[in-house]
Amino acid sequence: MHIPDGFLDPSICILTYIIMIAYGIYAYYKTRDVWDTDKISQITVLASGIFVAQMFNWPIPGGTSLHFVGGALAGILLGPYLGFFVLFLVLLVQCLVFHDGGITTFGANVINMGIIDVLVGYFLYRLSTKISNSNNSRIIGAFIGGWMGITVAGIAAGFEIGLSPLFNYPIWITVPIMGLFHFILGIGEGIITALIIWYLQSKGYEQFIHG
Amino acid sequence: MNKKFLIFLAVLILISPICGVILADIVGYHEPLDLAAEAIGLKDLSEQLNWTPFYDYSVPGLPPEIGYIISGFIGVAIIMGIGYLANLLIGKKKEKEK
Repeated sequence: MHIPDGFLDPSICILTYIIMIAYGIYAYYKTRDVWDTDKISQITVLASGIFVAQMFNWPIPGGTSLHFVGGALAGILLGPYLGFFVLFLVLLVQCLVFHDGGITTFGANVINMGIIDVLVGYFLYRLSTKISNSNNSRIIGAFIGGWMGITVAGIAAGFEIGLSPLFNYPIWITVPIMGLFHFILGIGEGIITALIIWYLQSKGYEQFIHG
Repeated sequence: MNKKFLIFLAVLILISPICGVILADIVGYHEPLDLAAEAIGLKDLSEQLNWTPFYDYSVPGLPPEIGYIISGFIGVAIIMGIGYLANLLIGKKKEKEK
């Protein structure tokens, strides 16, 4: 899911950085009254957990793998704006310290995993709990949120690659390829997200769930 | 931070090379993005543009499995360090406001 250096045209890199910074300012503005030591601790704990979870690459028959991304989970647990800061922190450390994800593509990676995945996951989870606020509905919402969050993030990556003028492949090729891969492998993301929400509910930790 | 959670993270980091290094070498798999990118002919420039000694969760001079584990601990320590600094800043800001 991490786009490396070389996959995106410079114009797309600049545009994605601008969007990332603008959204970051907006997210801070929306949460400016809730920043305290508890919130920072929650962000740090969740970011540490997601960082470690992303180190697990599970092999899939056919020569590919999946790892948990955690954007939807961050949105469900801390809300769409603080969830952004969780993924931003994870992606920043991965990029600067381990070069996992490019520096030129950092803005795009934050948009895909820290904005789109978080927002899609959060809103689908909220939609599910509005339809019915039962435990099952929360788990189903987490599954769909995790699955679709990754799928839409993959589609966004397809747009970013397809819109890069340096490359020969237009978005009607890159978007279906990226979307399809992530639609199939996103099922795993949905299952893990749902399992974590189920675990928190079964242990009586509902207070940690934002929605 | 909860002690149980820290132990849980440490155990996960210790076993992470099974999936992140050993199985990757045996099965020879790639991330979905890499496969999709290969299908449309994109070129990864990460190695040419590299700036970090811990490239791809490795530590120079150490076997990949050990490097992967140490990288996990480094990553978590940095994230927690950033959180600690942010908490200090917020604490000082709140004191000034009082």
